[in-house]
Amino acid sequence: MSDTMIRFDNIQKKFPGVYALKGVSFSVKKGEVHALLGENGAGKSTLLNILHGVFTATDGDVYIGEEKVNFETPVEALKYGIAKVHQEIHMVECLSVGQNIALGFEMQKHGMLDYQDIYRRTDEILQQLGCRFKSKDSISGLSVGELQMIAIAKSLYHNAKIISFDEPTASLSNAETEKLFAIIEDLKKKGITILYISHKLDEIFRIADRATILRDGTYIMTTKVADITKEELIKNMVGRDVSSYAVRLKPPCVQEEVVLDVRKLCGNGFRDISFVLHKGEILGVSGLVGAKRTEVMRAVFGIDKKISGEVFVHGKPTDIKSPQDALKYGIGLISENRKSEGFVPVMSNAMNMGLAALPSFYKGIGLDKQLIYKNFETYGNKVQLNIMDPEHLTQNLSGGNQQKVILAKWLATSVDILIFDEPTKGVDVGAKAEIYALMEEFVAEGKSIIMISSELPEVIGMSDRIIVLKEGRMSAQVNRDEFSETVLLGHAIGE
Amino acid sequence: MKSYTRELSTLLALMIIIVIFSAIAPRYLEISNLMDIVEQGTVNGFLAIGVTCAIITGGIDLSVGSAMAVSIVTCGRLAVAGVPPLAVVVIGLGLGALIGTINGLLVTKMKLQPFIATMGTNSVLRGIAYLITGGWPVLNIPKEFRQIFQYSIVPNLRMSMIVLVLMAVVYSFVLKKRKTGVYIYAIGSNEEATKLSGVNTDKYKIMAYMLCSMGAAMAGMVTLARLGTGEPTGGEGYELNAIAAAAIGGTSLAGGKGSILGTVLGALILSALKIGLVVVGMDTFYQYIATGLIIIVAVYLEVVQQKISGMFSKKKKTA
Repeated sequence: MSDTMIRFDNIQKKFPGVYALKGVSFSVKKGEVHALLGENGAGKSTLLNILHGVFTATDGDVYIGEEKVNFETPVEALKYGIAKVHQEIHMVECLSVGQNIALGFEMQKHGMLDYQDIYRRTDEILQQLGCRFKSKDSISGLSVGELQMIAIAKSLYHNAKIISFDEPTASLSNAETEKLFAIIEDLKKKGITILYISHKLDEIFRIADRATILRDGTYIMTTKVADITKEELIKNMVGRDVSSYAVRLKPPCVQEEVVLDVRKLCGNGFRDISFVLHKGEILGVSGLVGAKRTEVMRAVFGIDKKISGEVFVHGKPTDIKSPQDALKYGIGLISENRKSEGFVPVMSNAMNMGLAALPSFYKGIGLDKQLIYKNFETYGNKVQLNIMDPEHLTQNLSGGNQQKVILAKWLATSVDILIFDEPTKGVDVGAKAEIYALMEEFVAEGKSIIMISSELPEVIGMSDRIIVLKEGRMSAQVNRDEFSETVLLGHAIGE
Repeated sequence: MKSYTRELSTLLALMIIIVIFSAIAPRYLEISNLMDIVEQGTVNGFLAIGVTCAIITGGIDLSVGSAMAVSIVTCGRLAVAGVPPLAVVVIGLGLGALIGTINGLLVTKMKLQPFIATMGTNSVLRGIAYLITGGWPVLNIPKEFRQIFQYSIVPNLRMSMIVLVLMAVVYSFVLKKRKTGVYIYAIGSNEEATKLSGVNTDKYKIMAYMLCSMGAAMAGMVTLARLGTGEPTGGEGYELNAIAAAAIGGTSLAGGKGSILGTVLGALILSALKIGLVVVGMDTFYQYIATGLIIIVAVYLEVVQQKISGMFSKKKKTA
């Protein structure tokens, strides 16, 4: 087969005691967009890491064209024309755009850096990508989407034949995502082979030609995307039937009582935000990236300063200036940045789960391990944590299970208003459904949730009511009977 | 709530050092010599268990040497003026708490980097120590005060050692069994996540710096009792030995990791080395080289250990 670009031949990867990949074989055609699908822990990233020389395979070979390659380092792979656009883009802040693109592989003349050449070359690439900034511009002030363009430019600087993307749209706005897709189409036309990992199945159907599914380190199937339905894909990824959509399985349980009343709140980048939250309600917060949804909620929770406005909890005026104030009023927040703001990496599941309720685990003058373990048992079971080992480090769990630990941390407190920012970001399909179920259970107990979500199907499926923000202002309030993607997008864009 | 592998390896290192020196010079193993190691490690022990608290939050305290000096001259003055010895100790600890609060406020409320903030207070405190005595030492410290720490219960076992053990136990209890300690570790590992869990992180950071300077104040009082005079130059440069003891004992300068037991063992390693080199008759110049090498090896072992446990965690992740 002359049109085969990459061939994985019986790739195995063994970490001490456990197989991450158990003999995976499949081919990727030249110039196609090939999606790698599977739940977290299925082995997608391990496979990519082997392709890029981050890991070496325990057994098996990687072929590029007819040649056996088996890279030992990422630099080796890069020199061969295999580049990766990471999920989180890391750039050197103090260097210019062009310097970042050329970093480590600067062109030289007479033993000195040849910036003229570097800037000419990188400007050419940036122009091809349709970027509005130039190579001499500073990195700071660029958006996540723009940084991603630089990462792609970097791949092109290396004349990449193969570019892999790991969750590239996780932090992009809709407009930026569209632009990325246009560029991927363009790269494809140039004959560049694309490997694409994403949890967002809609994207796969938009841009991928074929998809390979992995489950628990084994190869399940490779299929043309056009030949398969979303349900079939999910079924093969999970190995069981799971509803892909966010749907409410229980009847709505919204009560009359207002638990949170935000009036004319102004803060960093937003103003005049007013909304109420009812007992037993899931209030969706929709809007484009940059609409300041997170900022509004951070101000309500007391992380960021409020400029003016009032917040009433259970009808009483409050003066919440810090998260510990918010906790006193029974408000909890789960950040979208799980790693940096969600849990403490050195701590075990039991400790992370107990962190917000620590004062209740005293026995005499010291904390009691048994009480902390008991708390873990109770809430770990409640959220159906997959590894019920209290001493297991939270950082070693999958994204979905980390999210469950954080959720359990708040369940263990007396919090009755939960602000949930992107509840299923980076969470695999199976765990998603479980988190939705937990949210429903929470409101069924007469508690309330504010859910910020960028995924329209999620916000539509789960909310009782939705408020839409646009550029730091309230754009609309939508009731359940009017929910639709068009309506929400319309309010978010403001047409 | 954790395993003691790291402390065991520090203990093992200490034993290896003792075995090596006793093989060369058998008198190293005599009780009086071993107790001398403990005695010599006491002052650094107080400083080090204090500084461990600051380091666990992800910070550092470079002012402990000068805080010690302020404690030496202040307590010296008070003792000479006839203040009852136990009252002097209480005032000394209060002074430590005050210094720690100032450091803590600089780090939290003024948001200064701990390295710079405490470098500043280090200089200020040294100046204050000189000002208090006008540059002269405080002489003739009364016997009653000296006895609090110098009294030997049995030969070679001084009160200062008992006090160190007591303080280490209390600090360990606070760090492992009180929410203060849990928060101190959590802040060092991920301050943002801790804050978002409704924890007043500033308050607990300040408490860590208080614990730190209280250790320094204690070190000052023990030194005062031992020497019988209070030098405003006391403790100069001691902060580095204290940080070294913490690092050898497994405290990570990145924060979130470390233990009082490990630090005490680290302080003992340093003093066992120091005395060992004297006993075998090596030039004391080698002491600097040996100390430096021990620090490098200890921290390197930490890196290796991390790598190994990193492989384990990957295993668990894919499981």
